[in-house]
Amino acid sequence: MKIELIKFGNILSSRPAGKDAYSGFSSEISKITKDEVVEVDFSNITSFAPSWGDEFLSPLLNRFNDRLILTNTENSSVTLTLELLEETNGYKFNRG
Amino acid sequence: MHKKELITIGNASEILGISIQTLRRWDESGRLTAHKTEGGQRRYVESEIQSLADGLIFELAHKWASKSTPPTLNSDVHCQDRSIFEGRLQRLNGAITRAGIEQNLTSLVITATGEIGNNSFDHNLGKWPDVPGVFFDYNIDDGIIVLADRGLGILATLHRVRPELEKHTDALRVAFTEIVTGRAPEKRGNGLKYIMKIAKMGMVGIKFQTGNALLEIDAGATDFKIIVANTFIKGTIAIIKFKTN
Repeated sequence: MKIELIKFGNILSSRPAGKDAYSGFSSEISKITKDEVVEVDFSNITSFAPSWGDEFLSPLLNRFNDRLILTNTENSSVTLTLELLEETNGYKFNRG
Repeated sequence: MHKKELITIGNASEILGISIQTLRRWDESGRLTAHKTEGGQRRYVESEIQSLADGLIFELAHKWASKSTPPTLNSDVHCQDRSIFEGRLQRLNGAITRAGIEQNLTSLVITATGEIGNNSFDHNLGKWPDVPGVFFDYNIDDGIIVLADRGLGILATLHRVRPELEKHTDALRVAFTEIVTGRAPEKRGNGLKYIMKIAKMGMVGIKFQTGNALLEIDAGATDFKIIVANTFIKGTIAIIKFKTN
């Protein structure tokens, strides 16, 4: 499954918005089959904040571990937010 | 970027957000002297007006955040709830983009602004001591963004998870430098540590005050300082500075 983050907006900010995004998407997440790769695509994102990212990406990583792959992460705010989440939560993302 | 041009009193009034009558009074009293055309019309140096506007933005934010009876804010700068703040954050993004600021810097500035403003709502929702919401104004030409709130402040919010903290200066240092997670009753965004990283990358400078603690870090500086300020802000006030050329 490919999750295009731009469908949630170009500025992804705040914990409540990140939490809402994950909850709203949970029915799709439940359809993901065993062994299926989950790609999170950051194309065209303007701003990606640690608060939003923690609420959306951390539960995805907990659930899918190595099957979670992040792509098109070149945006400066995306790069820095992923680094901070890895540092504060002690995990590591797979970048495609 | 400043233009070395003279502008009319009407334009100066729009930039400063104050009336033409006030500008005339300031000219007569010497507070802000206008140049005069041969026909006697008032003209102002645009760069001087822009600088004055920056000072007025901060002065108004500081007054609103620090006074026991705050001035009533114009709805253009007062975001009473999160949805209004996020709408204005989109407007800021549009304004920075139109100004031709480089995309990497734009992304980081928008993210930093979003983290500070959303922190105010996250930590004060349902607990605002008096006036809810966030002061949010900016001047893209001069690369400044000012945010403030009349919330509980960092010491009070961090005290729930770090009860050993007693001073505003200690709380501010923890907020900007330490990872606060785990047993917290509410999740922490670590957004201020993100802003510290951006500053150290040389992308923005920041001044941030809560209580009597004032943190300053210049863009690209390897270290920051926290001093005891002469003024007291019960909630928070922040200025983000970024390069415009």
